[in-house]
Amino acid sequence: MENIIIQGSHKDYFIPSVNFNAQNGMCEIAGESFLEDTVEFYKPLIKWLEEYTTAVKKPIAFIIKLTYFNTSTSRSILDLLNVLKDYEDNGGEVVINWHYDENDIDMEEDIEDYMIDTGLDINLIPFSQQ
Amino acid sequence: MSAKHDIINTMNINSVSMSYTGPFDGQVLSVLAKNIEYSLSDRPTVNKKVFKIFLELAQNISYYSAEQERNRRGEEAGVGILTIQEFDDHFIFSTGNLVTNSQAEKISGKCEKINSLGREELREYKRVMRKLPAGAKGGGNIGLIQVVLTAGTPIEYALNRLDDDKFFYIVAIKILKYDENVG
Repeated sequence: MENIIIQGSHKDYFIPSVNFNAQNGMCEIAGESFLEDTVEFYKPLIKWLEEYTTAVKKPIAFIIKLTYFNTSTSRSILDLLNVLKDYEDNGGEVVINWHYDENDIDMEEDIEDYMIDTGLDINLIPFSQQ
Repeated sequence: MSAKHDIINTMNINSVSMSYTGPFDGQVLSVLAKNIEYSLSDRPTVNKKVFKIFLELAQNISYYSAEQERNRRGEEAGVGILTIQEFDDHFIFSTGNLVTNSQAEKISGKCEKINSLGREELREYKRVMRKLPAGAKGGGNIGLIQVVLTAGTPIEYALNRLDDDKFFYIVAIKILKYDENVG
């Protein structure tokens, strides 16, 4: 299975950095997510996770370090988390670490909403941007 | 079009920190967003809120304005106006764009609903709406809810009829600089 590596950018729209590694199960999304076509961008990531959780079936460490994501991205994040939840329900090993800027006081609430929505445990890890 | 211009003039009466009129394409949005994030206040928590609110409101114009324009690269983007006014203890963000009759009906129902809900109910409403299928370009349904959750204040809105087919839709939100919940 191939890895997904996307170099993020901050020009027209904000493209997040993505590093999904099929060898060690480390999957990271970082940076900012505000895209021209959100569904189109996240579709291959969701497909990759579905394939990994059905074919490779090894533990996954899912790491989110998004400092900004718009509401349409928030839907796609929910889709990704739902794949992880299905995997966990079927015996897969999943750890989710969500790093967030300590100045972003709404982020904790956002993450809590994802836990309510999916029933997943998400580790909240605040960091200082300075 | 004179009615539209009258409204824009009224929106610009007070001290304006920033005002932009035109198509809200990706390039415009990301340039404005970066300027806003670093220039408005010296409080990182407030800047974060302002940045998020700006992008959601601007994206609403981009996706849903009934007046669409093509840029040089052939991308279509909604046309509208966005104004940020600074006062001693708060900012006011206002946006204006054209909407069709059927959009106007939905908007007013949605705004009334959002303003009638408390914070926890609003979070629940967002979770319910987020599970519904996405709209154009993956957008839709939760931008305005997120704006109110981020600002922590209700929205004010107006729908002014322009002609038989269209309304000029204005939405405004206040962001406190020294909210006790904001560090």
